[in-house]
Amino acid sequence: MSAYGTTRQPPTAGSGPKDKTTDYHTALFRRLAWEGTVPIEIRVDPKELPANSDRGLECYYLQAPRVTYLPLLLPEIRRFLMDVVFDEAAASSLKEEDWWFETEEGTVMKWHWPIGLIYDTHTISRFVRNPTAYAASSSTATPLRLILHLASPPVEKLLLAPSQEACKQAFMGQIKEADFIRWGSTKRVTGLRKNEQDGIWEGIKDHNFDDYWRVASKVTPSASPGSSLSAQSSGHTRPGTDIGTAIDRDGAYSVRSIPARIYLPDGPVLQEFVSPLLEDGTPNTLGKFLSAHLSLLFPPRPPAPPPSRSNPNPQPPSVQELAYAMVQGVITPPESEMAWLGVCLAGADGWLNICIGINKV
Amino acid sequence: MATSNTTSRATNHTMGEHSEQFEEALKALDVYKNKDVSKVVVRFKAVGNAPIMKQNFYKITASNRFQAVIHFLRKELGWTSGEPLFTYINLSFSPAPDDTVANLFKACGTDGHLIVNYSTTQAWG
Repeated sequence: MSAYGTTRQPPTAGSGPKDKTTDYHTALFRRLAWEGTVPIEIRVDPKELPANSDRGLECYYLQAPRVTYLPLLLPEIRRFLMDVVFDEAAASSLKEEDWWFETEEGTVMKWHWPIGLIYDTHTISRFVRNPTAYAASSSTATPLRLILHLASPPVEKLLLAPSQEACKQAFMGQIKEADFIRWGSTKRVTGLRKNEQDGIWEGIKDHNFDDYWRVASKVTPSASPGSSLSAQSSGHTRPGTDIGTAIDRDGAYSVRSIPARIYLPDGPVLQEFVSPLLEDGTPNTLGKFLSAHLSLLFPPRPPAPPPSRSNPNPQPPSVQELAYAMVQGVITPPESEMAWLGVCLAGADGWLNICIGINKV
Repeated sequence: MATSNTTSRATNHTMGEHSEQFEEALKALDVYKNKDVSKVVVRFKAVGNAPIMKQNFYKITASNRFQAVIHFLRKELGWTSGEPLFTYINLSFSPAPDDTVANLFKACGTDGHLIVNYSTTQAWG
């Protein structure tokens, strides 16, 4: 497990940042989310294969980190195609800036969406389009089948150039937007030094958990529910605050709103204000959030009947759920706290992506 | 972690009941697909030496993506496709081009407006 403090603990007198102990569960779930990968199959559009290509090999399989982006996978795919499939004449005439991906159903893949999000939105969408075809598919991971086109990119749908630089800019924009949603300002991100801003992106490029979190821990709130006072990223406490009793003003449960987006099958993307705590002071949960904003799919659950002598521990009546919520590819229980999800299972850009799937018929 | 597991939750129900559930879910999805036709007042503010617009308040349909706002702004400024233009919300961040105006307004609206800053050079990079 990482030695870096993914949760900022109150430093005790005389100890510096080196003394940070990492909240085990926070670090564990951040690590699990970070290490998650998805299977991808990439096939060059047979109609666009250059002459003299080695047919039969035009398929490339890879297991891609959820936190990465398509532009970051292009060099590996290009190397394979150049080495194995295309001949030299074709290799020299092809321009990578014309390349683009779409699914077999014709959905254009956006350059600036994390791979894990692309995979999950594809999973929830294809089931709704064709429930019988996918009802039988079990828990085994099916690869995301992408068609690689070598020419005529639909610029209007791709929105961005396929360059790593454009992808990095979009990523930084998302990190800042997440910061703004949490605190109403972007000063935590803009306070990072240039080499730190570059380092957070390098961490994603290299899929290096420690490199990423070394910087990300300075902009991601701690997960502790208001019990610890977080130190500033430098490790110094603010003067005059009483360690141990003060509310963690930089913590996950103190934010204005949790940066979260809801992805429904075949679109739209919804964004709502997500307070970490409800009016009664209890933590906002995924179930409460979904029944507040998607009540047609997540109707509020009927309460349990009052306890009686014959039934001292009554359970609420069981309801057939129409839909389920998935975060980082994992079906997420409704009692999960939004604040915790927002700092432990968010994407590398700080956004909690909640994909809504329809339950099998 | 890497895979989605969407195994059926309840297998002891009758087929008909499930189909009804599924239809109900699809109907719900259709409702959420309805586009937000309300309007959002977008206020454009020039930054640095970017040209100032004669009119800087515009009503834009909430379901539009931010990309549409950028297009509109470029057209109003008479910008050709090669000329750089950087857009920000609240002097803070560049939204993703597929963020919707509705979502941005909900999260970052100020005094009933969505403030869009534009610059010919990159600011707050």
